[in-house]
Amino acid sequence: MATTPILQLVQGFLGLVSSRHELITANMANIDTPGYRTQDIDFRSELHRAMDNGGPAMTPVSHAVSGLLQRPDGNDVNLDREGLLLAETQMQYQIGVQVVRSEFHRLLSAINEGK
Amino acid sequence: MSLFSTLEISGSALAAERARADIVAANLANAETTHTAEGGPFRRKMAVFSGSGTTAFRLLLAGYNRLAVRTPGAVRLVQVAEDTTAPVVRYEPGHPDANPSGFVAYPNINPIQEMVDLMGAVRAYQLNASAVTASKQMIQQSLDILK
Repeated sequence: MATTPILQLVQGFLGLVSSRHELITANMANIDTPGYRTQDIDFRSELHRAMDNGGPAMTPVSHAVSGLLQRPDGNDVNLDREGLLLAETQMQYQIGVQVVRSEFHRLLSAINEGK
Repeated sequence: MSLFSTLEISGSALAAERARADIVAANLANAETTHTAEGGPFRRKMAVFSGSGTTAFRLLLAGYNRLAVRTPGAVRLVQVAEDTTAPVVRYEPGHPDANPSGFVAYPNINPIQEMVDLMGAVRAYQLNASAVTASKQMIQQSLDILK
C-alpha cells in the first residue's frame, strides 16, 4: 500500500509501463513467428482506468494493432515501431522511478524536519 | 506481469534464433552431402517458430476466463521442417553414390538463401539482446530507489 497519493498514482503508471514493455519484448521475440500480429495496449485509456481505480492497474487488455504492413507469412511486426516504443517505455519508466525517488526524498526531509 | 518475465520472453527468442542459426550452419556444412543415415542426399532443414503464452498458469487462467485475453509471450522452435524440393543431379559416373546411369543426387542448397536466413537470425538475435539490455536497465533503476 502506497503511503502518499502521488506514490499510489506512480505505482499504477509504473505497472502499466512495465506491462507495455512486456508486450513490446513479446512482439520483438515473435518477429519471425508466422501469423503473429503485433500486440499493444491503449496506453491512454488504460492509464485513465488505473488512475480511476486509484492504485495498481488491473491486467491491461492487449489487442492486435491495426494498420501495420503484413508480410506474406501473416506476421506484421514492425522493427522500427518496436524499437522506438522500447526506448519510449524505458524513458517513461525512468520518469516514474525518479518521481518515486523524489517523493521519498521529500518524506525523508519532512522526517528530518527540513534539515 | 513483471519485468523479470520480459527477460524470459527475450531469452526464449535468443534461444530460438540461435537454433535457427545452427540449422543454417548445418545446411551450409552439408551442401555437398550425398550420403545420409536415412539414405539419399541431405535435405535442407528449415526452422518453424511458434508463439506461446509465458506461463502454464496464465494459459490455464485464459482458458477458464473467456474475457481474459491471452497475452503473447515466448517463442519456441516447434519443428525442423525438411525442404521437399528435388535434389540436384550431376553426372559423375565414378562417384560411389552414383545411380546405375551415373547420376549423383546432391542437396538442393542455395548458399545465398542460407546467408540471407543467417543474417535474419543474427539481426533478430541482436534485437532481442537489446531488449534484454533495456529490461535490465529498468530493473536496475527500480533497485536504485533503495539507495
